[in-house]
Amino acid sequence: MLAARIRKERRSASTTYFVLDVSLDVSPGITILFGPSGAGKSTLLDCIAGLTPPDAGRIALNDEVLFDSTTATNLPAQKRRIAYVFQTLALFPHLSIEENVAYGLSTLPAEDRRGRVAEILDAFHVEELRKQKPTAISGGERQRVALARSLVTNPRLLLLDEPLTGLDAALKTAIVQDLRSWNAAKRIPILYVTHSREEVDALGERVIALENGRVISHGAPMDVLDAPRRKQLAQAAGFENLFAGTVLDLREADGVMRVRLGESACEMEVPLGYASAGDRVQVAIRAGDVLLATERPHGLSARNIIAGRILSLEHRGTMVIARVDSGVVFVVHVTPGAVRALELTAGKQVWLVLKTHSCHLVE
Amino acid sequence: MNMDALLLSLRLALCVSAILLLIGMPIAYWLAYSNWRGKFLLESIVALPLVLPPTVLGFYALVAMGPRGPLGKLWIVFFGHGLAFTFGGLLLASVLYSFPFAVQPLIASFEGVDRKLLDASAVLGAGSLRTFWRVILPLSLPGVVTALVLSFAHTLGEFGVVLMVGGNLAGVTRTVSIDIYDHVQSLEYAEANHMALVLLVISFAVLSLVYGVNRRVWNPWPAK
Amino acid sequence: MTGQSRTLGSWLRFVLLFAAIFVMQRELLAQGREIRVAAASDLQFAMEELTKNFEKQAGTKVNVTYGSSGNFFSQIQNGAPFDLLFSADIEYPRRLEAAGLAEPDTLYEYAVGRIVIWMAPEAKVDLNKLGWKALLDASVQKIAIANPEHAPYGRAAVAALQKAGIYESMKTKLVYGENISQAAQFVQSGNAQAGIIALSLMISSHMKNGKQWEIPAEMHPAIEQGAVVLKNARNKNAARAFLEFVKSAAGRSILARFGFAFPEPGNSLGLRR
Repeated sequence: MLAARIRKERRSASTTYFVLDVSLDVSPGITILFGPSGAGKSTLLDCIAGLTPPDAGRIALNDEVLFDSTTATNLPAQKRRIAYVFQTLALFPHLSIEENVAYGLSTLPAEDRRGRVAEILDAFHVEELRKQKPTAISGGERQRVALARSLVTNPRLLLLDEPLTGLDAALKTAIVQDLRSWNAAKRIPILYVTHSREEVDALGERVIALENGRVISHGAPMDVLDAPRRKQLAQAAGFENLFAGTVLDLREADGVMRVRLGESACEMEVPLGYASAGDRVQVAIRAGDVLLATERPHGLSARNIIAGRILSLEHRGTMVIARVDSGVVFVVHVTPGAVRALELTAGKQVWLVLKTHSCHLVE
Repeated sequence: MNMDALLLSLRLALCVSAILLLIGMPIAYWLAYSNWRGKFLLESIVALPLVLPPTVLGFYALVAMGPRGPLGKLWIVFFGHGLAFTFGGLLLASVLYSFPFAVQPLIASFEGVDRKLLDASAVLGAGSLRTFWRVILPLSLPGVVTALVLSFAHTLGEFGVVLMVGGNLAGVTRTVSIDIYDHVQSLEYAEANHMALVLLVISFAVLSLVYGVNRRVWNPWPAK
Repeated sequence: MTGQSRTLGSWLRFVLLFAAIFVMQRELLAQGREIRVAAASDLQFAMEELTKNFEKQAGTKVNVTYGSSGNFFSQIQNGAPFDLLFSADIEYPRRLEAAGLAEPDTLYEYAVGRIVIWMAPEAKVDLNKLGWKALLDASVQKIAIANPEHAPYGRAAVAALQKAGIYESMKTKLVYGENISQAAQFVQSGNAQAGIIALSLMISSHMKNGKQWEIPAEMHPAIEQGAVVLKNARNKNAARAFLEFVKSAAGRSILARFGFAFPEPGNSLGLRR
């Protein structure tokens, strides 16, 4: 169990100055640390691992205090027994796979070392590669080796910084499997950083959303990501439509607010929120939550039926991305089957159907 | 053909290279990885012998080694005699003179090691010494070789410094370069040419050997 | 004019200016306003006086380079642009004459050198009383002399030590300076406790403070110092004029003041003060 309170001022090369100020608890199991780039995720991991000291705070792992600014305690990274897989993997290019994996076991007698190494290479399906150098193996194999190297030391905590970037879906799934089986066996806290929604869904038992150095939300993946309250989070979490709007009026009896989107004539009903008429708000809508109709539907519970014209249709494998102009441009996802059946083409007049609860207010 | 002078020069070059590697590495390590704001001052001091004329360096070394100089006083207390005109004196002056030639390639090499590898090593439980030995050094091998070769070659060809502090004692401080110069002074051109040629051939052989062996090691490790 | 040709133009102008100055310099030299002298190290201080007086009198500037005679000999053989050579060993000018590199009838033995034992003022040895025996003192660990292989003062020093019968025992204490000035420097910096130096260097204000003992002339072969005007000279008239000045009574009195002796007229091995 990791309990961390960290405050660190960060001047990052790619982003503007911000202050990392978080308080989080990580229990055994996989916790996703989710957020856009520049949110401070890597800095947070570095602090926990002991590679960079926070300006203030306290980090404790299983009752052992790793860092405490009030008592000037700062256990060096070497002694923390925390495993950390970097985004770049940082495999030692001059050592073989075997030597890489054995690197953290120098304190063990040679026999035990050999045994442990063989065991984990097997568990991660990279046994045949043991004598090769990291440059000679594929990306997916390197990722496995990096995981193996970190886990062979029986760490108390595992930190993963976007470990699956650049891998194709099949590989990702395979590695995720291995990680989950390992996790099932050992049950240590795992802090997994990603900005990919798919990985969250595949792995996450819990999600902590980080933005601009602060935790803005935490809980089950659905709660955090399906009802994002922050604009950046919304964009990161796969809300393809994001509109700036103005509140027209509030209808408490109906439980809705009417919002004008942009400068257009398009008006929508969104869930009642803390706003008054005239306030500016942001409305986020998933492209997959929008329905298309070729004639104006009747008798639907959906409160938003908006006329529009198809601007373009883009085929992407099992999905078609339609852009519809209704005064503001909506991005809609439909299947190729639907496109055929409805004979959708650019320029066609359509109606967009949206449930009130598919529209989320975002700050 | 004066073998003494040649052997002396080779011995000096070897000793200087070894010493420079030994003391150069910790200094280069600190300069490569420290974040101290005043680092640039130390870097300038290290580079100083590059711009100082060797005779100037030799002259001040001579004064420092003398009985009125700080080093000389200490030396006489311990050893009862001066440091000038001894192999030790040559060694000291040569180490100062070739210092940047060893330290700068080392710094460049150390800086070239991916920092993330150092982080990985730390997280896997390795202390600074182990990280240096197992990660930094193997990946800096080209730089180490360069430092060795440059110090060796630079010392072999040294003249000005040796001239100032050596005293031209046969077998002790009369290096090949001094010997050749003496022959020219005494109008013994044939001898001078002979020795110069031998020196050239030996230097070339040593350099070729080192660079040839290093060819395999030269392949820089890719970033991933 | 385009940007490029403008830069070319200014560069060209710079080169022409440079060339003009260069040519002017040569003109100056040719017009006899300046001569270049190569002088042995032991003439360091004496030559300063000589040139100062000559310049006042003749209006010609004298540019002196000091170094070892052997070095100058090699350089002159390879075309070094000196007008005169003042060597510490008359053998070099003789060889230049024989090789046709000197102006005929200008070879001249201008002085005979004297050597002294010199010690730092702090030395605990009573040099005046002991003379060459002072070198035997235990406190003398290093004795600096000029390199006998090519410096006449070094050869004389060795000869004197041999005459005194102490050369073999003192040999291990010897250290060799490139020229007589470097030998003096070794003593001055304290690294050598004693040195056998040219008397002419001792007269300078820098060296006056030490202890010195003049080595009797009989103990070593005479250090015959010779001068010659070089064939390569750009300004032969002015060069000859300077040599005449050195030969004159005024020149000789300056040399004498700096401890030089002179050869007996007609007898190059004799000495006269």
